[in-house]
Amino acid sequence: MLMTGAQYIESLRKMKTRVYMFGELVENWVDHPIIRPSIDCVAMTYDLAHDPEYADLMTATSNLTGETVNRFCHLHQSTDDLRKKVKMQRLLGQKTASCFQRCVGMDAFNAVFSTTYEIDQKYGTAYHENFKNFMIEVQNNDWIVDGAMTDPKGDRGLAPSAQRDPDLFMHIVERREDGIVVCGAKAHQTGTINSPWHIIMPTQAMREEDADYAVSFATPSDADGIYMIYGRQSCDTRKLEEGADLDLGNQKFGGQEALVVFDHVFIPNKYIFMAGEFDFAGMMVERFAGYHRQSYGGCKVGVGDVLIGAAALAAEYNGAQKASHIKDKLIEMIHLNETLYCCGIACSAEGYPTAAGNYQIDLLLANVCKQNVTRFPYDITRLAEDIAGGLMVTMPSQADFKSDVVCGKNGETVAEICDKFFSGSPACTTEERMRVLRLIENMCLGSAAVGYRTESLHGAGSPQAQRIMIQRQGNLAAKKELAKAICGITK
Amino acid sequence: MKCGVRFCGGCNPRYNRREALNEIESRFKDIDFVNALVGVPHDLLLVIGGCTNCCAAYEQFDTKTDVMKMWDVDHIDMIEKQIKEKIK
Repeated sequence: MLMTGAQYIESLRKMKTRVYMFGELVENWVDHPIIRPSIDCVAMTYDLAHDPEYADLMTATSNLTGETVNRFCHLHQSTDDLRKKVKMQRLLGQKTASCFQRCVGMDAFNAVFSTTYEIDQKYGTAYHENFKNFMIEVQNNDWIVDGAMTDPKGDRGLAPSAQRDPDLFMHIVERREDGIVVCGAKAHQTGTINSPWHIIMPTQAMREEDADYAVSFATPSDADGIYMIYGRQSCDTRKLEEGADLDLGNQKFGGQEALVVFDHVFIPNKYIFMAGEFDFAGMMVERFAGYHRQSYGGCKVGVGDVLIGAAALAAEYNGAQKASHIKDKLIEMIHLNETLYCCGIACSAEGYPTAAGNYQIDLLLANVCKQNVTRFPYDITRLAEDIAGGLMVTMPSQADFKSDVVCGKNGETVAEICDKFFSGSPACTTEERMRVLRLIENMCLGSAAVGYRTESLHGAGSPQAQRIMIQRQGNLAAKKELAKAICGITK
Repeated sequence: MKCGVRFCGGCNPRYNRREALNEIESRFKDIDFVNALVGVPHDLLLVIGGCTNCCAAYEQFDTKTDVMKMWDVDHIDMIEKQIKEKIK
C-alpha cells in the first residue's frame, strides 16, 4: 500500500505519542504550528510516490512481497537501488529545503536486515526472521520508522556499564520469557514524533561487560513508557506569531529532532533483533552509519540546490547578477554541491551484496562523502550570505511591511517606508526580495540550519568518526609500497 | 493509439521534462500519451530522462515497438521522427 500525504497525516492522529514542549504536554501535536511543518515535510515523501514524474525514484519493488513500495521502505537489491536512493533524497531536499526525516528508518532497515542475518548464522537466533516479518508490516503499512541510534552517552570517557547512571545508554533491565524490558534514551532523534514506529540500535561497538547494552528492537512510538521532549530550533517561535509567513522563509516545511525516553518499556520477543550479542553491535553501527553517510550525499545536495537558487534570485533582485564575482560565487556553490553528489553516487555505484542479500555501500567512499558534507554546506552558506548581503539579517519584520501606522511627515506608513527603502531591482517587488532573503536566512541560520549546517557536521557521526573510518579503510601500507616501487626502495 | 510515458525521477534534470512531453504531444494529436503502467499493453513507450544517465527503469512495461529514450531537450525532433517511423 502506498499512502498519500493526507492519509499519512490522518494516521498520526490515531497515535497516542506523548510529546512535551516548553515544559508542557502537547495535546494536539499534529496541528501544533512548530511541529506541523515537519509533518508536512514527511508527507512529501508520500505524495511524490504517487506523481508519475517522480515515481521511478520514489518507488521500488519489494524483495519480500513483490509489491510496489515506497523506496523509503525498501531493502536495496542492487547498486542501481543504492544510486536511486541518493537521487530520491536529492529530489526530496529540493522539494522541501529541509530534513524530510525518513532516511534514518530506511538506513536502519538495511543495516538491521544484514546484521541480524549474520547474528543468526553465528548464534542460531531468530532475529532475521523477526526482522523480515517486521519489514513486511512496515512495507504493507507504508510506515515511516525512526531509526534511533544515538544514546546520550554521559561521560564519553567511560564504557556504558561504567556510567554513573546506567540509563545514559539504552540497556536491558529485565529478561522475561516473552520479551525484554529496556531503559534509556535516544538523543537528537530526527522525525521521532512523526514516526509511528521506532527501530532501536546500539550506539557504538560493545564489549562483553556491556552485553546488556547491545540491544536492537522495534516498538510503537506510543508504547507504555515512551515519551519525547521536543528540541528547540533557531527562530522556532516565529512560527507561533499570528499570520506568520514572510518571516519564516519556508512556511511549508521544516525538520524535527527530539529526545526520546524509554522508561521500562516492554519489547515482545517478535520485535527483538539483538539482545546481548555484543560482538555484533559494532557491525550494526558501522553499517547504519555507512548508509547514513551515503544519504547525506543526496539530501544535503537537494537542499543545497534550493539555497543556490535562492542566492541566484537574491543577486537578481539586488541587481547584481551580472557582476563577475557573483557569477563565480554561484559557480563555486554548484561545484561544491555537485562534489557532494559525486561522492553519494560513487559510494553507491561501488556497493556490494551482503550475506543477507541486500546491498551495502562502499564504506571508504561513504565516509569521504560525509566528511565533505561536514565542510561544504558551511562554504555554500557563506557564499549565499555573501551574495544575499547584510539585509538578510537586518531587515524589519513582516509586521512592519504590513503596518499602516503613520511614521512619515507626509503621512507615509511604516509599510510604505519599508517598501521604499528596501526595494531593489525592478525585476521584483520589495516583498519578493524579502521572501528570498528570509529563505536564505532560514537555511543559513534559521530553523532549517539545524538540518543544513549542524546536522551536516554531526549527523551520521561527527567529523572525527569519518576520519577514523577513512584511516582504517585507506590502506596506507599499500600506498607506501606504491611509492617504494616507483622510487626504487626495495626493503 | 497509446504511448506509455515513463519519466526518470527528476533528481537533477537539465531541462523541463514535462514541457518536453507537452511539446511532443502537441505534434501528435492522434496519439494518447499516458503514464506507463505495468500489465497494460502500450503501442509505443517513451522514456524521458533528465540527464544523460536516463536512469528510469522501463523493463516492467509492455510495448509493441522498441523503446524510445530521450535525455535532452534537443531530442524532441528525434523522438518525433522515431514516432512517425513507428506509426507508419
